[in-house]
Amino acid sequence: MKVNENKIYNPEIECMDRKDILDIQSQRLKETVAHVYKNVPMYRQRMDEAGVKPEDIKSVDDLHLLPFTNKTDLRDEFPYGLLAVDKSEIVRIQGSSGTTGKPIVSGYTQNDVDVWTEMVARSLTAAGAGKDDIVQVTYGYGLFTGGLGAHQGASAVGAMVIPMSSGNTQRQLMMMHDLGATMLCCTPSYAIFLGESLKELGYDPKEFKLKSGCFGAEPWTEEMREKLEGLFDINAYNIYGLTEIAGPGVAFECPSKCGMHVNEDHVIAEIVDPKTGEVLPYGETGELVFTTITKTGMPMIRYRTHDICTLDATPCSCGRTHVRMSRITGRTDDMLIIRGVNVFPSQIEEVLLRISGVSPHYMLVVDRVNSTDRLEVQVELTDEIFSDKVSDIEKIQNAITEQIKSVVGIAAKVKLVPPKTIPRSEGKAKRIIDNRDLTK
Amino acid sequence: MLITQISVYLENIKGTLRSLTKTLAENNIDMLALSIADTTNFGIVRIVVRENDIDSAIKALRDNGFVAKTNHVIGIAVPNQPAGLDKALAVIEENNVSIEYMYSLNYIIGNNALMVLRLNAQDMTKDEIAKMLRDNEITTISQEDVNKL
Repeated sequence: MKVNENKIYNPEIECMDRKDILDIQSQRLKETVAHVYKNVPMYRQRMDEAGVKPEDIKSVDDLHLLPFTNKTDLRDEFPYGLLAVDKSEIVRIQGSSGTTGKPIVSGYTQNDVDVWTEMVARSLTAAGAGKDDIVQVTYGYGLFTGGLGAHQGASAVGAMVIPMSSGNTQRQLMMMHDLGATMLCCTPSYAIFLGESLKELGYDPKEFKLKSGCFGAEPWTEEMREKLEGLFDINAYNIYGLTEIAGPGVAFECPSKCGMHVNEDHVIAEIVDPKTGEVLPYGETGELVFTTITKTGMPMIRYRTHDICTLDATPCSCGRTHVRMSRITGRTDDMLIIRGVNVFPSQIEEVLLRISGVSPHYMLVVDRVNSTDRLEVQVELTDEIFSDKVSDIEKIQNAITEQIKSVVGIAAKVKLVPPKTIPRSEGKAKRIIDNRDLTK
Repeated sequence: MLITQISVYLENIKGTLRSLTKTLAENNIDMLALSIADTTNFGIVRIVVRENDIDSAIKALRDNGFVAKTNHVIGIAVPNQPAGLDKALAVIEENNVSIEYMYSLNYIIGNNALMVLRLNAQDMTKDEIAKMLRDNEITTISQEDVNKL
């Protein structure tokens, strides 16, 4: 049942004067830059090449002097190259998709886990969580930050956690119903799927105690919010994060639902022109860039998220002063998010190249059917691997499906199509047909 | 004893089979046998034509965007009466050979029905399988027999 309350986990920090936030950011940025310059060869080399010394960074205004960090750097330095502390200080590894078969991983010290936990605790509190709540965590537990992140945050606010992990709709609804879960954490598309399955499975929506949920790990729309809030009679809040920075909770919505507050005492957000890298003023649309200022294990300096959005620092009716980021409206690269999993076409390409006889021409077709993302991988069949036997063709299909599952981590439908049916293009090949409408 | 078969990959999309028959029709190719294996995702069409049509059929199909290739299958003639086929299959079974698929030609020679088989025996080549059939008094038919139909 929907309840409107405005709870703040750490009012002193979350509602601090903006001037004080900037002072904290400046101080912590200086410390972080000194720390990475001393301990991470890549950062030292990059700064030396750019002619920037740690002493040159006197405040947040100097942030633009620092070179950017990219996802490819995490791949090149995989797995421990970007650690700024001795490996023995690392207590956790989390990971997500890289652009190739290997995932990217991030190492957390106990401090980093605590910082991340506080960020999720603030997010859940903003969504109404407290000691009396029962939080069902339906994000996957594992390398993916969703499950453990939400779990830690819910524990920090003293809530009862049901660590369901993802999948098994029937069991999800049974536990939600029988245990009286009051909050749900999962991807918005799966939440809608749960809501739609509820009646089919014979439940009365009125028998559920759900009041709100934090939904993230994939872009979603206001239309989906309306649908979700209707299905469960809840408040549905957006939550944002990425493994490279921490995980879910880097930014979160408050009851005003007008953008996600970035936890600015832990990260600095910038919007840059994706082409030139030039910093853009608040309000303009561009690529989101994050610098961590409290992380010690694997700090990130000006990390390019490739997510497109805007920032807004005007006062929010909830009382929080931290800058708000809009919904993600697109990507500057070709990454797809499918059922919460990051997918790069290059990963699929790598899989296909590994299977002998399969043509490297492919197309990814993404649809949203009943609020669930479907990925179809169309691959051209060649005369060499074609066979008169059905089982041979199915063997090829299954081999591709299994490889995609193991490399990318999602189930895709593989469709073999006749040769030359996938359009060739002169320049950069068009590899994606995304039929989902994520702009509303 | 061996017959050349043309296999064609078909997507499960409305109109693809017609597109195949149209291609063959436009190239004046006479199909002597046709079988379709359909699955939820795709289909495989298997065709037998006269020898002098094989190359032009493959070329026409490929030119029209189909994946097509040839392979050898075994042809047998069985008495066109009850138990005719069963006796042949009994021999195949007794010799520990399994059947991948089978279909019939649309013709009768004498009082015999004509069948096309794709057999699988682990240690035997197709020629050895054909010899085994003949040794067991099963009449095999070859591409030359098919050409005369």
